[in-house]
Amino acid sequence: MADLFLAAASSVTTAASAAEAIASGLGTGALALQLNAGAIAPEVAVLLTLVVCLVVDLAGEKAASRWVPPICYGGLGASLVLLALQWDSPLEPSFLGSFLADNLAIAFRAVVAASTLISLLLSWRYVERSGTPMGEYAAILLAATLGAMFLCGSTDLVSIFISLETLSVASYLLAGYMKRDARSSEAALKYLLVGSAAAAVFLYGASLLYGLSGGATSLATIGVALQTSASPITALALVFVLATVAFKIAAVPFHQWTPDVYEGSPTPVVAFLSVGSKAAGFALAVRLLVGCFESFDAQWKFLFTVLAVLSMVLGNVVALAQTSMKRMLAYSSIGQAGFVMIGLVCGTEDGFSAMVLYMAAYLFMNLGAFACIILFSLRTGSDRIADYAGLYQKDPLITLGLSLCLLSLGGIPPMLGFFGKIYLFFAGWADHQYLLVVVGLVTSVVSIYYYISVIKMMVVKEPQEASDVVKAYPAITWNLAGMQPLRAALVGCVVITAVGGVLSSPLFDWASSTVAGTPILQQAIAAAAIAPLG
Amino acid sequence: MSIASTTQQICFLVLSATTVVGSLGVVLLPNIVYSAFLLGGVFLSVAGLYLLLNASFVAAAQILVYVGAVNVLILFAIMLVNKQETLAAIPGLLVRRLLSGAVCAGLFALLLRVAFTTTWALPGPTPVGEEATIRIGEHLFTDYLLPFELASVLLLMAMIGAIVLARRDVFSTDVITGEPADQGLIEKDRTPLLIEKSAPAPTLLSKP
Amino acid sequence: MSTDLASPIPLEAFLSVAAMLFCVGVWGLINSRNAVRVLMSIELMLNAVNINLMAFSNYLDGQLIRGQVFAIFVITVAAAEAAVGLAILLSLYRNRETVDMERFNLLRW
Repeated sequence: MADLFLAAASSVTTAASAAEAIASGLGTGALALQLNAGAIAPEVAVLLTLVVCLVVDLAGEKAASRWVPPICYGGLGASLVLLALQWDSPLEPSFLGSFLADNLAIAFRAVVAASTLISLLLSWRYVERSGTPMGEYAAILLAATLGAMFLCGSTDLVSIFISLETLSVASYLLAGYMKRDARSSEAALKYLLVGSAAAAVFLYGASLLYGLSGGATSLATIGVALQTSASPITALALVFVLATVAFKIAAVPFHQWTPDVYEGSPTPVVAFLSVGSKAAGFALAVRLLVGCFESFDAQWKFLFTVLAVLSMVLGNVVALAQTSMKRMLAYSSIGQAGFVMIGLVCGTEDGFSAMVLYMAAYLFMNLGAFACIILFSLRTGSDRIADYAGLYQKDPLITLGLSLCLLSLGGIPPMLGFFGKIYLFFAGWADHQYLLVVVGLVTSVVSIYYYISVIKMMVVKEPQEASDVVKAYPAITWNLAGMQPLRAALVGCVVITAVGGVLSSPLFDWASSTVAGTPILQQAIAAAAIAPLG
Repeated sequence: MSIASTTQQICFLVLSATTVVGSLGVVLLPNIVYSAFLLGGVFLSVAGLYLLLNASFVAAAQILVYVGAVNVLILFAIMLVNKQETLAAIPGLLVRRLLSGAVCAGLFALLLRVAFTTTWALPGPTPVGEEATIRIGEHLFTDYLLPFELASVLLLMAMIGAIVLARRDVFSTDVITGEPADQGLIEKDRTPLLIEKSAPAPTLLSKP
Repeated sequence: MSTDLASPIPLEAFLSVAAMLFCVGVWGLINSRNAVRVLMSIELMLNAVNINLMAFSNYLDGQLIRGQVFAIFVITVAAAEAAVGLAILLSLYRNRETVDMERFNLLRW
């Protein structure tokens, strides 16, 4: 009965959305100009891909596994091209103030779309091997992407809430997608309970903001209203809203779900959650904190400094004690989120662009590491760190790729991650955030220790010391469907991680023009520049 | 004080009392079926509060969706997972409950203090009353168009995902190679379930 | 009180009910051992938020009633979340034959 209701509700709203699509498809009408609906063209590409995937899936599983991958590549590629075309276009709020496609939004949406594309490349073989339907998997992952992309550009509490929930609900479903495995279901249930509670807390904060501003839901209007109110209610709303942001980016002490969800969920899903979902969380943090709470600058910066220090220390120290590769990467991703927060706390031009740059670098190095882990687990059925012992004799590609990506995550010089990290620390030092930078440097050294331990395990062991898994390593074959995309993603990520560092000047330009093309960041930078003088 | 306002006050007191008592019953009663029915009562009382707030459309939506769909769904779930199980006693449970009760009472005091010390922008504009439904429709097709459309994607995905997760049939073989599929996590088939407690695996730290 | 003319009930009364409901929901979220009851507690918290939104909408935003629209979105999402939550619970129950939160410990906290 309830399902019937949902079906009815969704069919009514889909019909409405179809009608709307026709209306905006007419293009040059007055409505289209007023809505400025072109701003969401990349999302429309993703949405169409989703619908086509579902329709193709009706033709049966054979047809789905044949056609869904190329459709997804086409749709996500089109979305990325449309995003590139939007770059530096004149800014107009679209959908009557619900959405703003500034350069910050475009950059983060590109990170989200790219992470989905790479995660999908990693997924096909895994999904087929586990005997789960592929069309639905792609559709749910694309829905999560859609939510995350809208979240990056939303400028209104209602839009933020709905896109956040689209991302979250799709993520819960993906986490529980291996439904015959108790761990996957358990991870999904824990994620759902913690996530829904966080959403309820966010909503309570949002309702307080709505009341405080006398009935506004647009972030800019609320920001203006907050400038004249210094009452404890704003602090409460700030804490409530911040809790949700911290949950999404997995900052300590809102991180408890991360290791469990990362360990229990299907690995390609974890790859998406660790990059795409996190990027959307950071975009949301910038929108809320810089765009709305700018008059409470000192307060949220203090709270974020605490969160960043705790995340860097706890994430990197607990990662030392892990035996499972996925769990280790979960804690390491908590630590990485702490590094990115340094850029947000600075609030300077360099700080913001370092944040954007590091997110882009993190995309490639983390997904490269996940590609290696997925390949290893597909071949051997293990993700224990001890089982990687002596791998380099049997599989040089995984050994090389994983070593390069882990070195980059640790911040060893010629890699891409080194430049991202050094830029963050430089920005923090220039803004006198000495505590953050010192903690960041010390925990980086700790992180290098556990990354190098894994590499040592793979490379230094003698053949007779190799683990049983590696001794029984299967012959390397690439002819199964879904293995070629996996190899392409692996090689692509590793090459960019390794070479990107040396050729990183376009990335730097890209990051700083992101900041230059984003009005709210420019305002924040200007305010921060005036503050010390006044 | 007119009769109308006295009636409203009495209605408010009764509705808020049933809301609060019902919600306490939902979390405290040992029998989950009673909790589920009390939850329906809470939803109905909240709908009554909406009527007091001049929002008949949302009150109707509350009854249709919450009582008609969510509550029925929860009752179905209780029936489907109704194996009688005796919960193992956990030491310190009472202390934990009391401690968290104190924390929640503190949170309640904080929220109350904020509600009463803040100067709200009262009095606001006159409520529109019965025109509310028209206004809601206008909002849904003007400034909240984007979330409205996105909500359709959310509902579609929730429906598909719930069906995929709840249905029993999954392929038992690899689609391409025809090998028996390993629905248990691919990387987990070597580590038997529940191994953690008995044999702690060596950690990175303990390696030379 | 100038609002007495419009409504005999002060705004703070509604906010208090919402705060109470929210705190009861939080307590249930922390302490319930039955996973279905945890889902119910989350529904209580969402209802508390809705009361807040509706009260603000009536008292402060009577003409534009954005809060009512927001509440409708919250109701929609709550329904979707409940359906997904119960589907996940069902698939977990098939694997583990229990709904006791304390026994969902394959993954360490």
